[in-house]
Parts: sequence; structure tokens; C-alpha cells
Amino acid sequence: MPVVNEPSERMRKFKNRGKDAAAMRRQRVEVNIELRKAKKDEQILKRRSISIVSMEKSPTPGEDKNVIIQLSLEEIVKAVNGNNPELQLQATQAARRMLSRQKDPPLNQIIELGIIPRLVEFLTRTDSAPLQFEAAWALTNIASGTSEHTRAVVEGGAIPAFIALLSSPHMHISEQSVWALGNIAGDGPLYRDALINCNVIPPLLALVSPVTPIGFLRNITWTLSNLCRNKNPYPPLDAVKKMLPVLTCLMEHEDKEILADSCWAVSYLTDGSNDRIQIVVDTGILPRLVELMGGPELIIMTPALRAIGNVVTGTDEQTQAAIDAGVLVILPLLLRHAKPTIQKEAAWTLSNIAAGPCQQIQQLITCRLLPPLVELLDKGDFKAQKEAVWAVANFTTGGTVEQVVELVQSGVLKPLLNLLLAKDSKTILVILDTISNLFLAAEKLGETERLCLLVEELDGLEKIEALQTHDNNMVYRAALNIIEKYFSGEENPDLQPGTDQDGLYNFSVEKQDFDF
Amino acid sequence: MELSDANLQTLTEYLKKTLDPDPAIRRPAEKFLESVEGSQNYPLLLLTLLEKSQENVIKVCASVTFKNYIKRNWRIVEDEPNKICESDRIAIKANIVPLMLSSPEQIQKQLSDAISIIGREDFPQKWPDLLTEMVNRFQSGDFHVINGVLRTAHSLFKRYRHEFKSNELWTEIKLVLDAFALPLTNLFKATIELCSTHANDASALKVLFSSLVLIAKLFYSLNFQDLPEFFEDNMETWMTNFHTLLTLDNKLLQTDDEEEAGLLELLKSQICDNAALYAQKYDEEFQPYLPRFVTAIWNLLVTTGQEVKYDLLVSNAIQFLASVCERPHYKHLFEDQNTLTSICEKVIVPNMEFRAADEEAFEDNSEEYIRRDLEGSDIDTRRRAACDLVRGLCKFFEGPVTGIFSGYVNSMLQEYAKNPSVNWKHKDAAIYLVTSLASKAQTQKHGITKANELVNLMEFFVNHILPDLKSPSVNEFPVLKADGIKYIMIFRSQVPKEQLLLSIPLLINHLQAESIVVHTYAAHALERLFTVRGTNNTILITAAEMAPFVEVLLTNLFKALTLPGSSENEYIMKAIMRSFSLLQESIIPYIPSVITQLTQKLLAVSKNPSKPHFNHYMFESICLSIRITCKANPDAVGSFEEALFMVFTEILQNDVQEFIPYVFQVMSLLLEMHKNEIPSSYMALFPHLLQPVLWERTGNIPPLVRLLQAYLERGANTIASAAADKIPGLLGVFQKLIASKANDHQGFYLLNSIIEHMPPESVDQYRKQIFILLFQRLQNSKTTKFIKSFLVFINLYCIKYGALALQEIFDSIQPKMFGMVLEKIIIPEIQKVSGQVEKKICAVGITKILTECPPMMDTEYTKLWTPLLQALIGLFELPEDDTIPDEEHFIDIEDTPGYQTAFSQLAFAGKKEHDPVGQMVNNPRIHLAQSLHKLSTACPGRVPSMLSTSLNAEALQYLQGYLQAASVTLL
Repeated sequence: MPVVNEPSERMRKFKNRGKDAAAMRRQRVEVNIELRKAKKDEQILKRRSISIVSMEKSPTPGEDKNVIIQLSLEEIVKAVNGNNPELQLQATQAARRMLSRQKDPPLNQIIELGIIPRLVEFLTRTDSAPLQFEAAWALTNIASGTSEHTRAVVEGGAIPAFIALLSSPHMHISEQSVWALGNIAGDGPLYRDALINCNVIPPLLALVSPVTPIGFLRNITWTLSNLCRNKNPYPPLDAVKKMLPVLTCLMEHEDKEILADSCWAVSYLTDGSNDRIQIVVDTGILPRLVELMGGPELIIMTPALRAIGNVVTGTDEQTQAAIDAGVLVILPLLLRHAKPTIQKEAAWTLSNIAAGPCQQIQQLITCRLLPPLVELLDKGDFKAQKEAVWAVANFTTGGTVEQVVELVQSGVLKPLLNLLLAKDSKTILVILDTISNLFLAAEKLGETERLCLLVEELDGLEKIEALQTHDNNMVYRAALNIIEKYFSGEENPDLQPGTDQDGLYNFSVEKQDFDF
Repeated sequence: MELSDANLQTLTEYLKKTLDPDPAIRRPAEKFLESVEGSQNYPLLLLTLLEKSQENVIKVCASVTFKNYIKRNWRIVEDEPNKICESDRIAIKANIVPLMLSSPEQIQKQLSDAISIIGREDFPQKWPDLLTEMVNRFQSGDFHVINGVLRTAHSLFKRYRHEFKSNELWTEIKLVLDAFALPLTNLFKATIELCSTHANDASALKVLFSSLVLIAKLFYSLNFQDLPEFFEDNMETWMTNFHTLLTLDNKLLQTDDEEEAGLLELLKSQICDNAALYAQKYDEEFQPYLPRFVTAIWNLLVTTGQEVKYDLLVSNAIQFLASVCERPHYKHLFEDQNTLTSICEKVIVPNMEFRAADEEAFEDNSEEYIRRDLEGSDIDTRRRAACDLVRGLCKFFEGPVTGIFSGYVNSMLQEYAKNPSVNWKHKDAAIYLVTSLASKAQTQKHGITKANELVNLMEFFVNHILPDLKSPSVNEFPVLKADGIKYIMIFRSQVPKEQLLLSIPLLINHLQAESIVVHTYAAHALERLFTVRGTNNTILITAAEMAPFVEVLLTNLFKALTLPGSSENEYIMKAIMRSFSLLQESIIPYIPSVITQLTQKLLAVSKNPSKPHFNHYMFESICLSIRITCKANPDAVGSFEEALFMVFTEILQNDVQEFIPYVFQVMSLLLEMHKNEIPSSYMALFPHLLQPVLWERTGNIPPLVRLLQAYLERGANTIASAAADKIPGLLGVFQKLIASKANDHQGFYLLNSIIEHMPPESVDQYRKQIFILLFQRLQNSKTTKFIKSFLVFINLYCIKYGALALQEIFDSIQPKMFGMVLEKIIIPEIQKVSGQVEKKICAVGITKILTECPPMMDTEYTKLWTPLLQALIGLFELPEDDTIPDEEHFIDIEDTPGYQTAFSQLAFAGKKEHDPVGQMVNNPRIHLAQSLHKLSTACPGRVPSMLSTSLNAEALQYLQGYLQAASVTLL
């Protein structure tokens, strides 16, 4: 029939007016500027190898902790630039030791000595493994500094040299190179891609084997994660495709750090457009990620949750894959987690699932996500409450009337209305939009009156009334709109007609051609 | 304009004239200044004057003029000319900061405002050195200058408190933080040190504390969007100092003023806000500091006096505690019995006490008192804050808190009992405490809907509320009387019916109290009680139960309107309306006196309408009087007209805009009461109702349309015969309305009435024009609302004039027009029609087109026959299509020019729903079946063949159902 529309389809169109699912799903990046301290739960970008004297097991033959030779900077320059291999080693070692001390390593001074190209050259000295190792260590630590420090190393030509050293017969040298390359990759997309273009991936992946020692494997995993990291641009697709099978294997490992870093890697790979998410989904890794997300270790749970959170920013199908992997079973635990950042990530994840079609919203109800959501809204940390508000907003935008009723029955109104006191304009606006959505649903059920009373009983009305004087224009308009529409009178406007004659309107028309 | 002495002189003259009280001198001077403000150098001349003029008045006047000039002109609007030339802009920005800082305070404020207006547009990109320039002044050591900088910074940064997060905003904040956070912190520390150095110097302290207030405000703005790294790193410095300042007192800073908050109060109040901000948003980082703040704030509350000047501080401080005590992880800070007791005793109880200021308001400013106490506009009062704290504490500690307070309530009641005339305030506090403890949820409509089960409301009511109200003297202890009445009112859903009935005569009695608050509360309580619904959703208190009280109720209500201060008391008028509505025909014996009093009131207030609610309820009461009386005796309408028309005429003649929409509604109601032809008094008014001036006011449109509809219903023939020359004017109104997206539906109401009631020959000559107009609107701005009304109209036309007439008139306007409308409008859009009657009209109309329009059977229109039938079955069987295109969603809001003329619809002047096809067709589905049957007998074979070729299966099934129900078959 020409006039038939699926009623639910039509209602969705109506309620989602102007918003499509893609716009409702909120990607991780909304604001690139951060006012806050760098997040403590982020993965470390660069690491310095610190020598703690007692732990140093002196891998270099001939070095004994009793005979540490102290050299001045001048002496170091001289010896490094000189031709005496003995002195070169001593000087490199001295430099490395300075760079490895716990407090204030003299990164700038060493760079200013201009010895980096020389140290890079030492990397190629296959004749002296100790020299190669000391140079690699020293460069690793320089590269662990600021971007400028890293640049000094890269511009000294270290990338090809380190990549070549991956295949060194000496495991400790190869491991040190992995570390150095990790620091370079961690600097940002530019050097990451420089490494990838120098074909770092095959030799790096070749180092992974069942017999690789755990410590080494940790380093490799961390470096791989840095090769997956950063956007603008993303790492090249073929590089990602090469790394993924290995990462998938690493995620089956039992070492916590390896698991954590491989989860971080996957979280970076999923933090992007839907085609990137798809590549990860295709590996079939989601069930394992969900399992890790539900585990007891915070360091693993954090990146696993991030990865899953990223996946559900994707298409409905990708989100469904995460649901099928069991994300909804784990989320209630995480929404109730003691750590605010976990609550927040979990709520963000939930908000994106709630942005999906009503079938997915139904699964969310079936898996009993509403009680923890309401609890979080009521008592959670503010960051988590904000995300919970989004979850409710999306739910009311995409849910069927029955689902919205279910939401209201689970007690969402009281904490939601309380959050109208939040000190955040956007949150307030989202809540006001949500209230409008609730009223639309109530209208369809002929329950407007009841909802009005409920809102008033829960002290929502006075809060909305107070918002009519809010300094933010959109907030005050939204509040005014709700008050006018549901809590008071009516409205009226005007346009224009013809002229008068004897003081009355003149009734006249000119004919035109019509085509509707 | 050159920067010359002559110009400065001229400008001085004109500025001086703008201060002249005589508008004949002032206005031209203002006009002149406006005319020259576009000239180059004008702002620079003003700046010169405000700096160098000999006369202080001119300096101030120039600074105000400058600020307003900046406000009007600085912003560069796209596609509009730049109103300030670039060199002036540069010169202003280069000079304004030092100028502001060196000016006396009065001028400094104006320039500071101007800077923030400029800053809003130009900062940071187009004013990069502003921040450095300001920060450099921190080192000056001159706190006059420093405060100027701080004030400007505050006006520049305070928008961070309400704007949405965005890259642009955060980039700016980051820039500000980088340049400003450290110097501000250093200044904060230095200022605090100076405060102890100058601890004995009152005037120095004042300046330093104004700086601290501004610094605390800046802290709030800079920390609002997110916790900046800098402030996280320096939290120790800030919070430790804030904490110290909270606990600080200095005699020299205490003010004598009882009302106005002093610097110390302002500072502490802002610190409470800052702590609340951190507690709400940055709980994780702030947790280590929070317990200290709880203790400090609580101590602060215990030691702060009852004066009004501390109100903001106290309510902020209590709100802070209220928000913290609800959080599960801070529960432990409060759970100790001693802590709870001490909070109840020292924080809550004292702030619930009735203060001298409250007593003053109760007596001298009762309107404000009522607004605060009854309507909940008490958001930032102490009582309210204390009440919120009670509720917050009850979340985790309902039992202990109720227990503690029960003790207090008892001891306060005992105090009262010892010596009521001295200790009545104790009882007031006890009642307030019980109320706030018991109330868990409340609405205006039902009062308290959820109560604390631990409080015995009934016992308190019987033992402590009823006795006060039963006291023979209604004027004794007015505050307690008001409390008692309020208690009944807010617990009306909790108190059993017998008790409510028992209180009714008491309330009626208190209508006579002299205290405005008391008789207002009595009226309000009665009005609310009359709306309480019982178990089966019927009115709880019936007219029969009220019978013994009718006379005294009406007498006292109208008498209350004569008490001093209550001549336009909206609560009393609303109670009158509600009483009429409840009592119905039992008021008839009193109507002659009632209507006299109401018309006198109407006449009096129409001189200067100032109380919209009062007026509204007055008109509602008039409508009720008419309805109730005429229902029993239709002939009584004449006596109402006699009583009211004189006042109405006066209102219309004096153009009392507020009342005109009401008058039209009452007139409609009266006119509809007439059973016969329209009386001549109405006909005389008819031409005046078509005056465009009336239709220009949006608030008049709905009631005027309604009134014209009443004219058409009752007097279409009279209009056709006696006022035929006014028909074009009537249609002109329709044309005016149809042109407006907002009012088009009103135009259709009118048109529908014209088509339905006017004799066909009287509108014959206009019919084509009407349709052309509608088609034009359809072509030019098609909206869903218009289409819905249009569909109803053409179907109504079809019912009235026949389907063939419809087809003919369409096709006479443009060949094939009928087919186009069917195909492009009716078939695809019919699903959108809403409303029972509207759908029925469309169903009957379309049935006619299908079955009584020969061209549908034997021209090219035939191909539309089955689709049209299918659409009709869709209208019967499918859910209504309520989609609205995106772009139409905001029509109503965007086009609203303002709501001052909003239409105030009278509920009791309501129009009955009118069904023009009512008698003709009962069941439109059966009607369709019968009509199809008739058609098929006329041309056997045709109908079944059309159905079988293209009607979809589902629709066919429905149709067969109709045929069966009508027991007919198609041939």
C-alpha cells in the first residue's frame, strides 16, 4: 500500500529527527584540547631504561660495578670521536650511565655534545657487541625524552640502524633495539610511519616465538602497541593487517603486562573509523577482549574496556558483534566498579550501545543494564554521571515507547532530574532533551499529565524553572520550551495577507498555475 | 570628526543635554549623538572626555555613553557594514586598559564592561597582548589597579561557567591558564600575606578582601570546565588558603548593615561555591580535602548569626553539606549520632526559625511572603536550604534524624504551651520541622504525595493543628493560623476525608481573618481541597456535602475581596471559580448578587488590569455563572447580557487589550446559548468584528474566530440577508489567516463554518477564489498542518456540495486539477489527518468522490479510483501518520514573536465538539460499503473488476469485512 509505513519505523524517524545513529554515537575524540593532567591510566608513551646499581647485572663483559669510570663531558666527546675502541666503549658507557640515572638525566647536554651520529655509527659496529649495546641503550634513553630529544636521535639516522639490529645475534642488543624503536614509534604518527616505511614490522614480528623470554616479549608487545598508536593519520592499513595476527596470539598469553599492552594496541586500532574497527572485529578477538575486560586486573581491564568501547562506536553490526561477544554481561560489573575512570568508560560504552536500534536497546534491558545505570546516575563519579546521562538520552531517542516506559519504571527520573544541578551546561542540555523525549513518549501513551506530576514530585519542575534564567542560551531555551509546552499555557505567531478597503480586509486573488 | 577642542566642546554640550530631565532638550541631544556615532574618532573623543573633562558628571556620562556605543557597535556582523573604523578600533584597544586602571571606580566599572564586550569579540586572536598587559599590572602593588584588572578578568572569563565545551573555548582557556594561572596564584598568596600584615588597617583590609573575592570568583571560572593541570598541581596552596579564609574572622571586616552582605560573607560564600564545584566535579582529586571543608563549613554555620546579610552564605553553606551528605562515600562523615544531633540542633533548627525579617514580610509584604512560602520561590532562603539538608540526611539516616527531631518538636511545643503569646515562634518552627521531615514528594496539584512513615501526621494534626483553627478568634497568632491552614493544604492527600470535612467550616471562617496571608491561605486551601480526588478518581468532596456551607462560603469569599490588600487577590478569585464549579446548581439562588459583584469587580479592574491571574479566574467565574444558570433556565441568558454588555462595550471602546480576548469568549458562550435567530444587538457588532486592527493581535485570533463561528452557526441567514456586503470582509479575514503558517488552521475553522452554514447562493461568487487562494498557499508553502486542514475542508465541501461540484470547480480553475489534487495530495497525505470528527469528514467525503462522481468512472481519473479507495481503507485501518518533516519542527517556536499577547483560553467558555456529518453517517465503514453497493448496482461488473485488478490483498480483506458488516454484496 502506498501510504503504509512500518509504524515503528515511522516513529523512529520522528523521534530521531535530525539525528542519525552515526551522529548519536560519540567517538572518543570530541575535543582535542585538554586542560587536565595527562591521564594516569593511559599507557606510557616512552620509557627510559634506568640503571639501579644493585639490579644492574652488568651485561657488558669487563664492566664491574666496582670499576665505574667517571668521565667528564669533554672527555666523553673526545673519546667518542676518537678512534680508540677501548675509550669509545668507556665513554659510551659513561654517557649511558649518566642518561640512566634516576634523577635529571642530562639529555640536553648529551645531545648538545653532538655525539648522536657517532653513537648511531656505533650501532653498526658488529665487531664490538658491548659498544653496540651501550650505544643502543644510550640512544634509547635519549629517545625517551621529549619530541625534540627523539628527533635528535632520529635525525642522527638511528632508525635504519636499530631496525638492522633487530636481527642481531645477541638477544640483549636486539631487545634494546626493540625498546629504542618503541620510544621512536611512541613519539607520534610521523616517526611511527617512518619506522613502518623502513619495514620495521617483519623483523620485529619475527622475534616473537614460543621461546622468546617473557621480558623480551613484553618489550616487543609494547613496541607493537606504539606502532598501532596515534591518529592523524592512522597507521597504514597493511601494517595493521600484518600486526594483528600476532597481537591476537599475544592476547592469549598469560603474562599481565603482555596482555595489557596487546589490549592497548587493539584499543588504538579500534579508535577510528568503522573500516578500522571492522578489521579488528574480523579477527574474532572480541570474545577474548570481553573476557579480559571482565578480569580482575585493572591494567588489563582498562585497555580491554577501551577497545570494546571503541568497537561500539561503530556500525550497528559491529556493535552487535560486541553484544554477541557478551559485553552486556560484563558491563554491569564495570558500571559498579570502584574506580571512577572504569565507571566512566563503561558508561560511555553503554551510551553508544543505547544509541543503536531498538533491538539492541532491548538486549540492554534484558541483560539488566538499567539498574546499574540508574545507580551510576545517582551515585557515580561526575565524569561517569555525564556519560550515564548520554546513555539515557540515547535510550530515549531510539527506544520504543515501551522501552522508555521500562526506563522510567527503573527509577531513572529522580537521579536524572537531580543532575539538572550539574555544573556543566552540556549535561544540563542533554538532560532537558531527554526530558522532552520522555514527554513525547508520554504523549503517545496519553500519560503527559502523570509525567508532569512525577517531574514535579521529584523536584524537577523547580529545577527546570530555575534553568529559565541560565546564562547559556540553548539551556534556557530548552528549559523554557519544556515549561511552556508541558507546565503552562500556549503560544501564537503570525504572517501576512492582502489589503483593505472600507477598513475591512479585501478578499481577492490572482490566479496562477498550480503544480504540487 | 577631528580630535579637536571644538569637537570636544560640542560633545560636552550634547552630553550635558542628554542628562536634562526635559525630554524636549534630552531627546534631540540623544538623536544628535546617535547621528554622529558613525564618524571616525567619535569613540576617541569620548575617551578623551572621560579622562580629561573638568566636570565629573561629564566624565561619568562620557563613560556610560562610550560603553553603550561599544555594546551597540563593536560586533562585526556578517554582511553588515563595519560600524567602527579600524584605526579607532586599534586606538581603543591600545588605550583602554591603562585608562580603565587609572580611572576612579565609577568610570572604571564602565570601562571594564566595555573591555569585556570588546574582549568577547576580539579576545584572544585580535587582542593578543591583553592578557600580558593585565598580568603585568599584578606586580604594580597598587590594589586599585589590581582590582580593576581582576574585575575585567572576571567579566572576560565568567562565560566559561556556562558555555559548552568546544575546541575554540578550550584553546582560549588554555591560553588564559598559561598566562594567568601562575600570576593569579602568586597574587592570591601575596594578598593573603598582606591581609595579615594589615590585619589592623580597616581600609587596607577592605581593598585586599575585594581582591580576594574577585580571585575566588576567577578560580571558579577557570576551574569550571575541567580541572586544569595547573590547579591540580597547586591544589594544596589554593585549598589550604581557602580553608583558612573560611575560618577567618576579623572584627574590622564586620559590617553594621544587617541586610547587605559584607566582603567577608561574600568571600566565604564564594569559597563554599568553589568547594562545592570541586566536590561535585573533581571528587577523586578533592577527596583528601573534603572532610576539612565539611568541618569548617559546619563550624561556620554554627557561629553565623541570624541577620539577613548572612543568608546567601548560610544557604550556600547548607546546600554544600546537603549535597555532600547524600554521597555514599561521605556517609561516614555524618553517621555518628553526636554529629547528626549537632547538625540538627545547631544547623537545621536555628535556620528554620521564624525571623524578624520573616515576620516583617508576613505583615507588610504578604504577596512576597506567599510567593516564597506557597509557591516555592524560596530556592535560596535559609529555611529552604535547611529543609534540603533534612531531606539529604534522611537519605541514609531517616530513622535517627526523625528521632532527633521528634525530641525537638516536642520540646518546642512544650515551650509554646508554657506561654503561647511569647513563645509562638517555637510552634511555628515545630510545624515547619514536621512538614519538612514528613514531606518526601510534593506537587502543586496534589500537595504532599509521599510522606515519611515515621512521622505521625494525623496525631500532630489532631493535637496541634485543629485546636489553633478551632479557636474562636481568627485574628489571634496569625502566623500559626497560616501554618495550620498550610498544613491541611499540603497534607490534603494524606488527611482522611472526615478530617478534611471537619476543617472546611474552619477554613471558611478564616476567610474573614484580617491578615492577608491567613485569608489568602484559607481561600487557597479551600480551592485545593475542592480538587482532591478520591479512590475512584471522582471529586472527594461533593456538592451535597458542601450544601450546609454554600451561603457562608460565597458570602465570605466575596467579603474577603473587600478586605484591605486583597481587592485583586487571585487566590480568592480562584477559590470563587472552583466553588462555582463544585457547587453547580446550588449557587443559582445567589447568582443575582454574585453577578452584580462580579461585574462591578470587572468594571473596576478594567480601568487598569494588573493581575492577569485574578482577571482570568474572574472571567472563568463569569462563564461558570452563565453556564450553570442557563443550563437550568436558557431564558436567563438575557439577564446576563443585560448585566454584562454595558461593561463589555466599555472594554471594547477603551480597547482594554488584556480583556478583549476574554470578552469575545464570553460573548461566544452567550450567543451559543440562544436557540433562535441572532439578536439584533449582536448583529450591530458584527461589522466591527471584521476590523483588521482586531486581527493584528495574535491573542484575539482564536476567540474572534470562535465568535464568528458562533455568528455563522446561529445567524448565517441573517448575515446573508442583512449583511451580505460584509461577506467579502469575512472572507478577507479568512484570507488573512490562511496566509500565516501559524494561524492557517484558524482560517480553516472559519471557512468550514462559512461552507457549512451560509446559504450556498450567498457565497457562490467567491467559491472559485477561495480555492485559488488555498491552492496558492499549497503551492508556495506547504506544511503538514495546512495539508491536514485542507483535506478536511475539501471533504467537507464535497459533503455539502457534492463530489461532482468539487471536481468541476477544481477543473474549472485549471484543466486536470482534480486529478492532480487526488494524486499528489489526497492519496499520499490522507493518513496524516488526525481527530475523530476530521477523519470521519474525510471518510464520508472520499466515499462520495468514489461513488457519486461520474468522471471517476469514465475519464482518465478512473486510474485513481482504486488508489483512492486503498487510501481510504488505510485511513480506517492504519495508525495515524504523525511524521513531521525536519524543517517544520520548529515553526511554532521560531515564528513566535513574543508571548505577551498569548491567547488565554477560558476553560469554562469551552466549545462543544461539533460534528457536521453526525446525523448523516454513523459508521463510515458501513457507509462506504453501502455506497459501493449502490454504485455497483448502477454499473454492474465495473466495481469488482476494478477491485480485483489493483487493490492490495490486505485492503481487500478489510473491505470484504465492511461489506459483510453492512450485509451487502457488490455486483
